[in-house]
Amino acid sequence: MHDLDEQQWRELLQRLRRFALWLCRDSGSADDLVQATVERALSRSHQRHEAADLRAWLFTILYRLFLDAKRRERLHARWLAWFGRSQEEASGGETESIVQAQADLQVFARLSTEQRALLLLVSVEGLSYKEAAQALDIPIGTVMSRLSRARATLRDLTEGNPAPPALRRLK
Amino acid sequence: MTRLIPSEHELHAYIDDRLDPVRRAEVQAWLVANPQEAARVEAWRNDARRLRAALAGFGEVPGPAQLDLRQVQRRLHQRRQRRLASAAALLLALGLGGLGGWQARQATLFAGLLPMEDAVQAHRLFAGGTALDVQASDLVQLQDWLTRHFDRVGQLPDLSGYGLRPVGARLLSNEEGAAALLVFQDGRGERVSLFLRSPGERYGPMPSGQRTDGGLEARYWSHGAYNFALVSGADDARGEAVRRALGVSL
Repeated sequence: MHDLDEQQWRELLQRLRRFALWLCRDSGSADDLVQATVERALSRSHQRHEAADLRAWLFTILYRLFLDAKRRERLHARWLAWFGRSQEEASGGETESIVQAQADLQVFARLSTEQRALLLLVSVEGLSYKEAAQALDIPIGTVMSRLSRARATLRDLTEGNPAPPALRRLK
Repeated sequence: MTRLIPSEHELHAYIDDRLDPVRRAEVQAWLVANPQEAARVEAWRNDARRLRAALAGFGEVPGPAQLDLRQVQRRLHQRRQRRLASAAALLLALGLGGLGGWQARQATLFAGLLPMEDAVQAHRLFAGGTALDVQASDLVQLQDWLTRHFDRVGQLPDLSGYGLRPVGARLLSNEEGAAALLVFQDGRGERVSLFLRSPGERYGPMPSGQRTDGGLEARYWSHGAYNFALVSGADDARGEAVRRALGVSL
């Protein structure tokens, strides 16, 4: 990671942040997630990574941390419920306003988190299927079927005729 | 040329350019012969393109909040060294309760980079505001409070000769125990703070010194059981005299 020049580093951070934003839908949490990712990566920098797969590796870390945080959040929500307090809805202000401004993103935002994560990695970040499978910790077969479902859903939503999920063909 | 019908997965791999060149050519030829399928594939490809366009620049960090690798690394290193100590500090901060405790925790996070960095941070966070544990306009009151929390501290000098009157104080925490910020103010609203804490493993007794930090001047010294710092505006001419008065008396 230390071989990156400032421009590369900045770009990499931006990519991580974009990915994090679409997972968290909240810029504060996304920044925390990126920061935690970089810290985790640095603390494991003895695992050598070539520039090419450094990106995939960082996405992997970020996604794991996101899932961990999610799990903790659910636990936390249970605790709150236990104490008789309802969970506060995350507002996700910044992301939300950007999303509202662009029809394409509005549609994208309606996909499930898993589908969004996969499309981001494959279509936007250009990761290989194998890298995406590693990052999301799923078999490559699942990558393919999820990708195909995600694209079909995106298509349906874009054309404004969302098929009820129950009727959608399972692949 | 085989004309095997490409699978759905292969069509996606075609869009993502993940087919080997031979198969790619075959799929391309098949698509030419099947315009309906070609339209479907083209629509997916378009969606991906639009998504890329819509997301270009998305996530760019506004302002200067860029992560600096070296800084992160330095922080990591420090954190490893005092993870246990931090746990104790967090407990103490929670004990102090509420937002104040959390802010105090923030103050301790920044601590340890420079001599009495935490003093400067504490001054920035608390001296200007009203978030003080005690409001004490007279010296006796402030002295009582101080002695209650720090039993080996000396007498606070009367600083009214420098135009400074007590405003209040705030108990803080750092890795090695309690710390306190005492705030004074002059007639023009100019504030100076006295910060003190017990020396410990990380912050041993230190040589006296001073440094300027973003418009603030920190003068620090050790005496008896505590480390002290006087934080004032860098252009505050009274700084040195007040520092000496405190040094003699405390």
